[in-house]
Amino acid sequence: MKKLAAAVTIGAGIAALALLRRRIGRPRVARGRAARLRLARGRAALQLAVRGGVRYAGSAPRIFAAAGEHRQQLRNDLALQTAEDVATTLGAMKGVLMKIGQMASYVDDGLSPAVRRTLSRLQDSVPPMSAELAAGVVAEELGMPPEQAFARWDPDPIAAASIGQVHRAITLDGRAVAVKVQYPGIAETIAADLQNVALLRRMLRITAPSQDVDSLIGELRDRVLEELDYRREADNQRLLAAHYDGHPTIHIPGIISELSTRRVVTSELADGARFAELAGWSQQERDLAAETIYRFTFRSLYEAHAFNGDPHPGNYLFHGGGRVTFLDFGLVKHFTPGELQPLMDMVRYLCVDDDPEGFRASMVEAGFLRPDAPLSTETVVEHMAVFYDTVRRPGALTMTGDYASAVVRRFFDVRSPLARYVSVPRSYVILQRINLGLFAVLGELTATADWRAIAEEIWPFVQGPPATPMGEAEAAWRASRPAGHERVA
Amino acid sequence: MTADSYAMAENLVARSAAAYASSVPENPADDGFFGPASVAWRLSNDLSAPVAGLRSLLIQALHPLAMAGVDQHSDWRQDPVGRLAATSGYLTTISFGERAAAERAAARVRRIHEHVSGVDTVTGRRYAAGDPALLLWVHAALVESGIVAAELFGTPLSRSDSDRYVAEMVVAAELVGVPRAMVPASLDELGAYISSVRPELRCTPAARESMDYLLDPPGLDEDVADIWQDVREAAIGALPAWAREMYGYSAPQSLTDHRRAEIRQALGVLDTVYLGEPGVLEARQRITLRMRAARRA
Repeated sequence: MKKLAAAVTIGAGIAALALLRRRIGRPRVARGRAARLRLARGRAALQLAVRGGVRYAGSAPRIFAAAGEHRQQLRNDLALQTAEDVATTLGAMKGVLMKIGQMASYVDDGLSPAVRRTLSRLQDSVPPMSAELAAGVVAEELGMPPEQAFARWDPDPIAAASIGQVHRAITLDGRAVAVKVQYPGIAETIAADLQNVALLRRMLRITAPSQDVDSLIGELRDRVLEELDYRREADNQRLLAAHYDGHPTIHIPGIISELSTRRVVTSELADGARFAELAGWSQQERDLAAETIYRFTFRSLYEAHAFNGDPHPGNYLFHGGGRVTFLDFGLVKHFTPGELQPLMDMVRYLCVDDDPEGFRASMVEAGFLRPDAPLSTETVVEHMAVFYDTVRRPGALTMTGDYASAVVRRFFDVRSPLARYVSVPRSYVILQRINLGLFAVLGELTATADWRAIAEEIWPFVQGPPATPMGEAEAAWRASRPAGHERVA
Repeated sequence: MTADSYAMAENLVARSAAAYASSVPENPADDGFFGPASVAWRLSNDLSAPVAGLRSLLIQALHPLAMAGVDQHSDWRQDPVGRLAATSGYLTTISFGERAAAERAAARVRRIHEHVSGVDTVTGRRYAAGDPALLLWVHAALVESGIVAAELFGTPLSRSDSDRYVAEMVVAAELVGVPRAMVPASLDELGAYISSVRPELRCTPAARESMDYLLDPPGLDEDVADIWQDVREAAIGALPAWAREMYGYSAPQSLTDHRRAEIRQALGVLDTVYLGEPGVLEARQRITLRMRAARRA
């Protein structure tokens, strides 16, 4: 089962669940090797979708890690120089595989440490564009070459994004900024490749049409297509930057609108410690950083009705004292109040009101559970409770990698009596990344807090008092804001 | 013997990849027989290469004597994957290896061929693997398939680059023992040569069994097997009509832009899996760096 969890390469577990369900219904025998294949299959999904995609991209850092002049030379020599180079490198499904690999890059369950290390480098590992190619994109988008559009332009990228790269620059009015430049032609290529739903299905090792799978692929396509248009990302970032304006620990870099287009997005330059550096920080600092990430995730969800579907360690910068800068809003899901309500009801009935029947009814209302599922409510609660373990009871609790893995495992537990009666509606597919992303990150920080007390602050149906010093500071900040500001969405 | 007597094709990708990765030299003393500015290097890296490989095997197998030599002597049935991987490694060495390495590899193949001779049970004709006529057929099928597959599914070569490629590849035939004068050196000569051999071609039982195996290799990893369906369809679609008719394959649907894109996507996934095998990406990068250096020079 552990291996099968790895099949969640696109950040939503229901695919694997659907796959498992199908497999139980119709066992297939493949030339006498069925048993081995079954065991290998979850792995195979990951391998096909990621093994190649990631290693392919993942070797770049090793090359760039070579020393000094030699390193710069190699970087220049391997850089993508023309739109044709981009098409060769990222066309024919390779860009899509890279996106899938990126999305899988912090899912730990079922991955060997070696694969995981490679995955964690993915964010910074795509081959860069040559200075000339990147400048050409900027010129097309902004109407003038970067040397004219900016007072200073650094032709060497400081980071690679999955479909673009980031350059430092100084604006004509003197602001230090980060400019994300998209690979030329990549949006068209990926959009075309995402049309091949049949192949996407095969890549996910799912060979039979299923409503769940189609929902999943549909959601993946929507999110990736949105990510290809940087104007969408700029909108998301503006929304959240406004929402957290002045927040004591959460910082979102502002967008420079006049220098942002479909393929170029310019934001304030942020600096800070990377996630990997936190390993050397005190546990107290790690706890504070985790608390900020936790507050950001659920305040965004419950107040801004927005969820960042890419809670990747590479998208955080740490400043000490719990202050965190959040980067990259290309993959943000916006929820309607109607979509959020059943989710909040589930939390409230299970964790606050202790009303199992209400919990079950909300699960059915949300579309998670079939109304006619022949299961006792006790069974339903027993198998769902693990997802709420961190907030069911008050008191300090330490997040661990084991907990994150247990949540993922439970989600894919084919032996669960719930397996054949549950599904995840399309709107909620991305939420599974709370389990796969947030909890994995907090687990890696081995963060301790009274998560229940913090959650109570955030839950709109509780609005509990500040539970921590950070909560106090946050309450003061909230009190200082104009009335109604918290409902920006 | 029946097709069932073939060994499983598991690890086809891994073993081909290992042969490839180890055949691209790390610090070569020279540029080999082709060099980084050649069309041959460009074509070797083309997305369409798996289609080219499968298509050329389909055409090569139609020569009864060439097929008999493989079927009766090599370890083809016991270890088809090993045989394919060895061929892949050989071609990589010839293409990218230093001259000395290419010559050593070719000498080894010529030595093996010395001991391969017999009588084809279908035609009753004697054959010898070292016969330049057979070697030339194998060569011509390979060269023509590279051009056709790139035209349909990869980055098409211009007419002059196609001519150049045929001319560049003459040395590959020479290395394995075909006198230079026999080897087509232009696209027209290549076409004329292939037409001239056609009366000798037929689909023998050995050819059919071998190709049935290759078109649907048992024991492939399931994910690769899925992709292989597209490679197979592309290779059959890329065959000349006469070859398809000899095998009795039905004529393919006309190749729409949509279907072409789908096949390219499948080839992209396969290529990504291939790149994920140890050493392959590094080998590709060694080649890319040398090609870029040559472009700058």
